[in-house]
Parts: sequence; structure tokens; C-alpha cells
Amino acid sequence: MKNVENRNRKFLGSFIDISSLGVIGILLVLITLLAIFVPGHNFIRPDNIKNLLSYGAEFAIIVLGAGLLMIAGEFDLSVGSVLAFCSFVFVKLFSLGINPFLVAIITLICGAVIGMINGLITTKGRILSFVATLGTMMFWRGITVMASGGAMMPSDTSEFKFFTSVFIGEIGKIFQSQVLWLILFAVILGFILHRHKFGNWVFSTGDNERAARSMAINTDRVKIICFVIVGLLVAFAAIIQTVRLAAFSSRSGTGLELEVVAAAVVGGTSLRGGKGNMLGIFIGAFIIVIIKNAFVLARLPYEWTYIAFALMIMFSVLLDLLIENSRKKVV
Amino acid sequence: MKKPGSSLILNYNISTTIAFIAIVVFFIIFTPNHLFIDIRNLVSIGTLMPDLGIVALGIGMLMICGEFDLSIPSLIPLCSYVFAILLMKGINPALALVILLPLGAVLGFINGIIVVKTGLPSFIITLSTMMFWKGVIFSLSHMAPISITKYINPHPYFEKMLIGTIGKLPIQTIWFVGVAIILGLLLHFNKFGNWIFATGSNKEAARAMGINTNMVKTTCYIIIGILCVFAGTMQSVRLGSFNATQGIGFEMKAIAAVVVGGISLRGGIGNMLNIFLGILIIKVLENGLILMRAPVFGIDAFIGLALVLFAIINNFIQRRLA
Amino acid sequence: MSSNESNPNTKELLKMTGIHKYFGKVHSLINVDFKIDEGENVGLVGDNGAGKSTLIKVISGYHRAEKGKIYFKGKEVKISSPKDSRALGIETVYQDQALAPDLSISRNIFMGREPVVALGFLKKKVMDEESMDALKNMGLYLKSPNITISTLSGGERQGVAIARALHFKAKLVILDEPTASLSVKEVREVLEFVNQLKRKGIAVIFITHNLHHIFSIADRIVVLSHGEKLADIKKKDTNVDDLSELIIRGTIG
Repeated sequence: MKNVENRNRKFLGSFIDISSLGVIGILLVLITLLAIFVPGHNFIRPDNIKNLLSYGAEFAIIVLGAGLLMIAGEFDLSVGSVLAFCSFVFVKLFSLGINPFLVAIITLICGAVIGMINGLITTKGRILSFVATLGTMMFWRGITVMASGGAMMPSDTSEFKFFTSVFIGEIGKIFQSQVLWLILFAVILGFILHRHKFGNWVFSTGDNERAARSMAINTDRVKIICFVIVGLLVAFAAIIQTVRLAAFSSRSGTGLELEVVAAAVVGGTSLRGGKGNMLGIFIGAFIIVIIKNAFVLARLPYEWTYIAFALMIMFSVLLDLLIENSRKKVV
Repeated sequence: MKKPGSSLILNYNISTTIAFIAIVVFFIIFTPNHLFIDIRNLVSIGTLMPDLGIVALGIGMLMICGEFDLSIPSLIPLCSYVFAILLMKGINPALALVILLPLGAVLGFINGIIVVKTGLPSFIITLSTMMFWKGVIFSLSHMAPISITKYINPHPYFEKMLIGTIGKLPIQTIWFVGVAIILGLLLHFNKFGNWIFATGSNKEAARAMGINTNMVKTTCYIIIGILCVFAGTMQSVRLGSFNATQGIGFEMKAIAAVVVGGISLRGGIGNMLNIFLGILIIKVLENGLILMRAPVFGIDAFIGLALVLFAIINNFIQRRLA
Repeated sequence: MSSNESNPNTKELLKMTGIHKYFGKVHSLINVDFKIDEGENVGLVGDNGAGKSTLIKVISGYHRAEKGKIYFKGKEVKISSPKDSRALGIETVYQDQALAPDLSISRNIFMGREPVVALGFLKKKVMDEESMDALKNMGLYLKSPNITISTLSGGERQGVAIARALHFKAKLVILDEPTASLSVKEVREVLEFVNQLKRKGIAVIFITHNLHHIFSIADRIVVLSHGEKLADIKKKDTNVDDLSELIIRGTIG
């Protein structure tokens, strides 16, 4: 009996640890404060929540992958450029009159291949991932701008009702189907990370790569798979975004790399790898989205969000260091 | 027999030279009307290159001691903005430049001290400070350019000193070469250079030999801050105004230049001549592609490609040597 | 001459008494006494976690002992940083931390102690010549002082590190597992380097797991176990088998 209880606690504990409780607390405080203090209670108006969730889902889907990759000890700065490129691929193929489901599948494959390229450059080329993805970030942005001529391209998928509703269909007044997709991805990745042996490999790769390799874990393959997952999720987010906005812009996703890192770090992911959890990453993504939203509602200059995110990274990092140091002292 | 010379020669990475010659020959042949070797084009390269180049030289030194700095596209406009403000207050431009130097040093120091005290990846720290200062500069300036020509015009000597020409040779080129020589001397013939290499190659060994590696890294960040002052001022005098987008994309181009210049991403290996050539390659690539009418943003694709390719080539060469 | 009385011709170089070192709750050195005479060669042995590394880190200034006294040449000293120990003439050669692999030999030998002219500019020629002299002094003949360390063999690397200690007039050289992960031939080279030091009258503390290596060079052997000094025996009073049994058993008698 006690055993079962213990196991239950352990099962939950693998999803919710102390650090993610802190993150949940921050989220709740943030929501409460905004609900009370934003003028005219604009924050909790249904259209704002709907807006927040639909944008938040796209962002959070990317953060889930990027967070997983950071736990494996690597970074992907190319997410913003890949988002724009995948969006371009989708719009371009769709405009040729190809069935939208087929287009979506091709776009996903595209994202996966790009992720694999990032992974191969990082692991087989033995280049720091942030430099490799800084290179591919410039590369894919350049390709996207060149191929599109830098112009906006409209892309209306609304005549394909089923297709559209799969990605952005309305469920009630507030929810849209992308939120369901997000939850689905979060649960799958949460299970993989915390309950599957692959998750264990991800943690050990990020924590101590040499040790992991000596235990016969193919750390290169683990990293490449994580990069592919990031690519797939970015492509998926690109599809949702393109369908939602019914247009492509070659500038979409600029500056996304820092927001993604900020979300993962706020969610308790270590910059050194080996530490993090899916729930925290999920919540971290929404903290970032809500702060962005609050800046808009409060009519604060958009530029201030840069300062806010930079400070949030610094703050989370310092907090993490303090906790680590105090833990060392106890031992 | 290998001549016992300085490590300037010893660590020279030949692939940079080959790439440089190849790329120059390519553009001489394939640019329309061989525009690339037109004297006006060469002058324009010499005028534009130092904006990025001067700062990239410092980035190269920092990368040899194993750290990165992505904050330069914010530090440059920040220095340039304060310069414009000082001029508006009626301060002599030369004096303004002198006042700015400690500001640049402080900005660099902030980067450095956070990096060494937290021990976290420097690219994340400096990505954050980049965003932070970007937010500050955008909110201060509201992204509006500030014309400074009317403050500079009464001081022709100041203008000549920064952006004049000697014959056809732009002064900027002389500054760029001058900074390269100074940093080259520091890196290869000074004990501080030895500390930089030691810090990047084996931090523990350097510490065991009494080298304060934190001080070495922080000093490199400070040098970059000071170079940003210089590059920012020079650029805004040339443009005749402060611009919030000065230095945009420089963080990637500087890293690309240094990597093309054969510097190991893990630190400890590098050479000022190579860094200098790496910067030339990036600017020639940009210039040549524009002459061949490539779309401006598409050029980034080539620079990104060069970055990744050269990083792989460098690794390959180093593994061969070891 | 009786082995139990100190040789009147040799003088005590370093003496440590009642050394205690804690890491949090772990008591890693317990009331350790240690001494070494000028020109003496002491082997420091013990199982993993016996406190060997901690003891030498106290001597070289990386750790500070919570309790205990250190005397150098009869005078009490405080060693609170690697700089202090180096100023006394104590040079420590760590296994992986001795050299910067991407730098040339001469730059490594003078790392942190570069001979300079004004403004910190290097006397490159002096560095190169003195490096070659230092290497020759150790019986190490390498082509050029500008070869990078990464191209040298493991034995040669140890030689460079030891040559560096010698060049800076060390009175006591501490070698932390200098023979670990070396080939048989390289081990022989390194042991020869240590003998060179001895011939020049320099005291050596030699740490290793391999008792045969110790036996070929040490005058005296100190055994640590669980942070305590277990034995302090002259080489001629013991043999490899007795000693290994002692280490395995972990107690005397």
C-alpha cells in the first residue's frame, strides 16, 4: 500500500519537482496580478485569452523541442529562420494547388531534414551547436528572403474546411485546436523525457557526455534525434502560424531564438544541460507569452520586452546558481 | 627545418589564404565588367570594412581565450547614441570620443564580469546583454536617427582623422590596420597574449601557473567595448548620424570572420593575421555578391554557409595536426 | 649510519604537523604529519580517496588546512595560494593541468612568468634559448622550442613540465601521478627525469598507484589511508609485497 503511494508520488514527482512548482507559482501570481490590474480587465477578456492561447500554442510547441535539446546540452538558434523557411515552403507548395495535407506533410519532412542537418553539423562536424545553428540561422533566413523576394505572400486555406479546422479549428469560444496539439506534444515529449529510456539518454548526454558514451549511449544519435524533434515541431508551428495568419512573411520568427531560450531557462532548464522537465518548459513558454501580452495590453513600448527577457534569463540563471551553491554547502 | 620564429608564423592557417585568393580571383573574373577591381570599389571596401573589422579583431582575441560576445550589435549603437547626445550638449567631438572610452570599457566589463562570475555559456550571457541594451537603445532613441553633421562640420580635423583619405586610401583602412597591428603585437609578442592562449588552451594549467584567467577574459571583453566605441563613432561620423540599426548582424559576421580566419571554436588556437584575412574574406564576399546583384539579405545565406564550412574545415585540419 | 636518525648532512626542507582538512562534513585529512628533507625522494601512496591529492593540494596552496602547521626550512609559513607555494620554491606538476596543449614549449615553460621588456612585451629569444637549455638539462632533446605541446608524447610532456619546475629553481617538486596512462617506455623516461632531479639535489614528492615505480626511485614511502598516515617507511626497510598488503588491508598489524 505504502509502496504504491510511493510509486505514485515518484511518478508525479518525475513530472513535477520542486523547481517546477516554483514556476507554476510564478505563472499563477502573474495571471492573478494581470487579471486584477490590467485596465478594464482586458487581460481576462475571452478574445484576449483566445489570442494568447493561439499565439502561445505556436510558441510553446517550439519551446518544447528547444527545451528538450537544451537538456541534451545543445542549442538551436536557427528556430526563427527555420520557422520562416518552413512557412515559405508551405505557402509556395500550397499556391501550386497541391492538396494541403500533402503540403503539410512535405513541410514537416522539410523541418525534420533541416533539424537533422543542424544535428549532423553539430555532432559529426564537432562544432559548438550555437555556432553551427548561428550559421544555419543566417543561411535559412537568407534563402527564405532570396526565394520569396522579401515579399509577403497571402495564403488562404479556408476553402479546405477540414484541413483548417484540424490546425486552427474552434473548440468553444476560447480554445482552438492548436492548443490540443500543444497538449498532445507536451504529453508525448513528457512521457519520452521522464518515462522512456530515451529520456534517460537525453539527461545523461546533457549531464556528462563522456560518462554517457562510456555507458554505450550513442550521444551523437541522441542529439541528432533531439535536433530532428526541434525541426519537426518548428515546421508544425510554421504550418499553424501560416494557416492562422493566412499569409507568409519572410521576417516571421526574427528574435525567436532568445525568447525560446528565455522560456526554457525560466522553466527551470539548465544552460549547461542535464537538467529540466517538460512541465516547467511548458509553463516557462506561457510565462514568456503572457509577459509579451501584458506589455501589449499595458501599451508599453515593445522594445521593453527585450529588457524584460534579458533580465528574466539573468535572474533565473542567478537563482539557479544560488540554489546550486547552497546545495553544495549543505554537502 | 622550421625556423624558430614567433607563433604568428607557427600557427598560421593556410586555408584562409587559399580561400582569400580564390574568392578574390572569382570576383575579379565574374563580377560584371570586372567591377570588383575597379579602384572605386576597392576604396569603398576600404571605407566600409573597418566598421565591422575593428570590432571583429577584438572578437577574435576573445574567441582565442575561449569565449564569445554577441552583444556588439547593441554596444555599437549605444556608444554611437551617447556620442550624438554629447555632441548635442555642445561637447567637442574629440572630447566626446575620449569620454566615451570609459563607457565602452564599462559595457565590456559588465559582459566579462557576468561571464566569469556565473561560469555560464558566454554566448547566452551576451545574447541577453545584447537584448537588454537593444531594448535600452530603442526606448531611448525611439529608433529615430539623430543627425550629427552640424556638430561635426566645425571640426574638420576630427572628421579627417576618422574618415578622411590620404590620396585614395581611406583613413578608416589605416585605423583598421593599426588596430590589427596593435592587437597582433599584444597577442603574439606580449605576455598578455601568452595568457590569452593559455587561458583558451587549458584554463586549469594557466591557473596553476598563477594566471588570473578571469582577469584575462574580462580584459578581452573590455577591449571589445573600447573597440565598439571606436567603430561606432567612426561609423556615425561617416553616416552623418546616429542610427539605432548600426552594427546590426555584426555579431554573426564577426564570428563568421573569425572562424573563416581559422580560429578554433574551443579556444587556444589562432592568429591575428588569419583573423585579419577572415574579416577581409567576409567583406569581399559581401561586396562581390552585391556587385553580382545578389539580394542584400540573401548574402547572409553565403556568410552562414561560410561559417559552417570553415568551422568544419578548421576542425578537420586541427585533428590532422594533433 | 643508522637509518632511524636523521642524516646530519641533510636538512629538513618541509615539515607539516597535525594537518586537518574538512570538505563539508567529510574529514579528508586527519592529524597528518609529513616531512621531507632537502634532496629527498618521497613516494606518496594509498588507495583512491586516501587523501594523497588533498595533502599535496594543501602543500601547493590549492586547499587551506583547517588545522595544523607548515614549516619550510625550519620557519613556519602560511600557504594560502599557489602563488605562495611557488614563491617558496615548491612546484607542482599535475597530471592533466600542467600544460596548455595548443601553446609552444617555450610559451608553456614561461607561462605566467614571462621574461619581458617594457609594457609586457616578450623576450622571445631569451624564452626560446632558456627553454632549450632547460630541456637539455633534463636530458630531453627536442627539435625546437616552438613545437606545440599537443604534438609531443606523454613522456615528453612530463619532461617539459618537470624541466619547467627545474628551470625556476624549485627546491621541492611534487609530481601528481606522472606515470599514469603512459607506455612502458615513457614511464622509464619519466623515472629517469625524476632521477635527474635527485642528482641535482631537488626534493621530490612522487604520487602514484604503481608501487614498482615508487620502488625504483623513492628513498622513503608514506602510506595514507582514509585520511590518516598509516606508515612512513624507508625503502630499504620494506618491499613491494609488504607494502601492497599494507595498502590493501588499510591498517597496521
